[in-house]
Amino acid sequence: MNAIETTGLTKYYNKLCAVDHLSLSVNNEIFALLGPNGSGKTTTVLMLTTLLRPNEGSAAVCGYDVEHEGEEVRKRLSYVPQDMAVDIKLTGRENVFLFAKLYGISNPKDTTDEVISIMELSDRADDLIRTYSGGMRRRLELAQALVHEPDVLFLDEPTIGLDVGARKKIWGHIRMLRKNGMTIFVTTHYMDEADQFCDRVGIISQGRIVALDTPSALKADLEKDVITAKVSGNPGSVKIDGVRILGKQDGEITFTADNGREALPLITRALDLQGVTVTSLSMREPTLDDVFLNVVGNTEDAGHFDYQQFRTMLRRRK
Amino acid sequence: MRGITDYIERDMIKWLRSPVSVISMLVMPAAWLIFVGLALPVSFTGNYLDFITPSILVMTMLSSSLNGGTLLMFDKILGFLNKFLALPTPRESILFGKILFITIRGAIQATIILVIAVLIGATILSPAQYGMIYLILLLFGFLMSACATTISLYLGDHDSYAAFNTMISMPLFFTSSALMPYNVMPAWLRTIAHLNPLSYAIDAVRAAGTGTVPLLQIGLLVVMGGVVIAICMQMFRRVTV
Repeated sequence: MNAIETTGLTKYYNKLCAVDHLSLSVNNEIFALLGPNGSGKTTTVLMLTTLLRPNEGSAAVCGYDVEHEGEEVRKRLSYVPQDMAVDIKLTGRENVFLFAKLYGISNPKDTTDEVISIMELSDRADDLIRTYSGGMRRRLELAQALVHEPDVLFLDEPTIGLDVGARKKIWGHIRMLRKNGMTIFVTTHYMDEADQFCDRVGIISQGRIVALDTPSALKADLEKDVITAKVSGNPGSVKIDGVRILGKQDGEITFTADNGREALPLITRALDLQGVTVTSLSMREPTLDDVFLNVVGNTEDAGHFDYQQFRTMLRRRK
Repeated sequence: MRGITDYIERDMIKWLRSPVSVISMLVMPAAWLIFVGLALPVSFTGNYLDFITPSILVMTMLSSSLNGGTLLMFDKILGFLNKFLALPTPRESILFGKILFITIRGAIQATIILVIAVLIGATILSPAQYGMIYLILLLFGFLMSACATTISLYLGDHDSYAAFNTMISMPLFFTSSALMPYNVMPAWLRTIAHLNPLSYAIDAVRAAGTGTVPLLQIGLLVVMGGVVIAICMQMFRRVTV
């Protein structure tokens, strides 16, 4: 049984289809749902946490249907929305203790102390939240979410608006929870974080999953290296197998190459033959940003995006 | 229902930690009590303070309830409601916790007003009479806080609700039996006053003060409260899932 299982999950807001027949299985991993604003990330999380009724399809958390067995579902999950809702007039301990009591766990006082110390907030536990930084507030929300030892943790934009250090810390805690066997479902805008910390990534655009795999597999799917050459002079077209010019700008040319290492000397030679001097060459692997822009960037003008078609298109270009 | 007391405790701590809001909500009814109750020259009664104290107690409950209408709306706007709704705690506890907190808060404020009234010369009643008065005030509090919460959930944003609150509170007070008995009112006002739920509470508190048991008014408050709480639960379900 998977921790999260959706089949044809669909949500309409009036005529707008926010989530369009989404089918997903997530189990025992950190799963990131990536997507531009308004792509249906939060709507998906709201349906999975029983806060919104789907129009079509179904979803189950830990084997319980989100529509008909809401209370069983809620016993097994924790949800941290992106709003950072902690009571600023209450202390850290009071905020967590409230949740410990609401969850009805057997030993609320000790559990509160325990999760606060896991989140490294013990020395500030009795201060009002008013005095907490953004990162500390987020960690306190994680502490609230952990008091009842959920099987599945939903985090909506867990690191939004936080500085680099605070983000690292949050992700460190999320990794630790994952190691202890928790399934974690996050939504995020930050590609580098999804790349670095998540086991699997789903890219959602206009309510549909357009790419779904591990970050490295998605990058490998692009099957390209990105090469940038700084040149003096005005080169014409370069004809090398497997190399394509992406763009020219201010004495800089960008190529994609199936095999970058082999393409580097070929590009230099081809440009030399045209009497163009190459002053520097750099090559990088595609990042998740490139993957994201490739699958999502086109949707605005294409209207309807088809990932399969996109992959076929990529292959044909070789 | 599980969770209700926890939700009440949360709101209570938050309220008591902002002394400005605790005191500011008492200023208006205290001012009415002192500047109108002690100063207005009226001929229909010898002790106007005794006549107006029930009105001010009910007014205190009313303004506490109307102000409390924003509490659930802010929990919704700020994201607390979604966190609470994702808990295995019964969802209605959130709503009942709110209505009970607003009512208890109103009763605490009414107690302070009652003490002030006695200090400046209102007649001291028997414990049974005070018990009756509190019962009426609590019933009225349930009715009005459920009403305010329903309307704020329906309107959905703070500005509209603040406008509604300003629009409703004074007319509701002036068109009730708060300031004068029915027999000295002009006929048109008397009709309106008889329909105003505020009058039921005020008349009931006055009756309790004279030693009678106002069964009719208490019954009306119970029925109206029941209906409004049912509507409020419907509204709450509609805005949540």
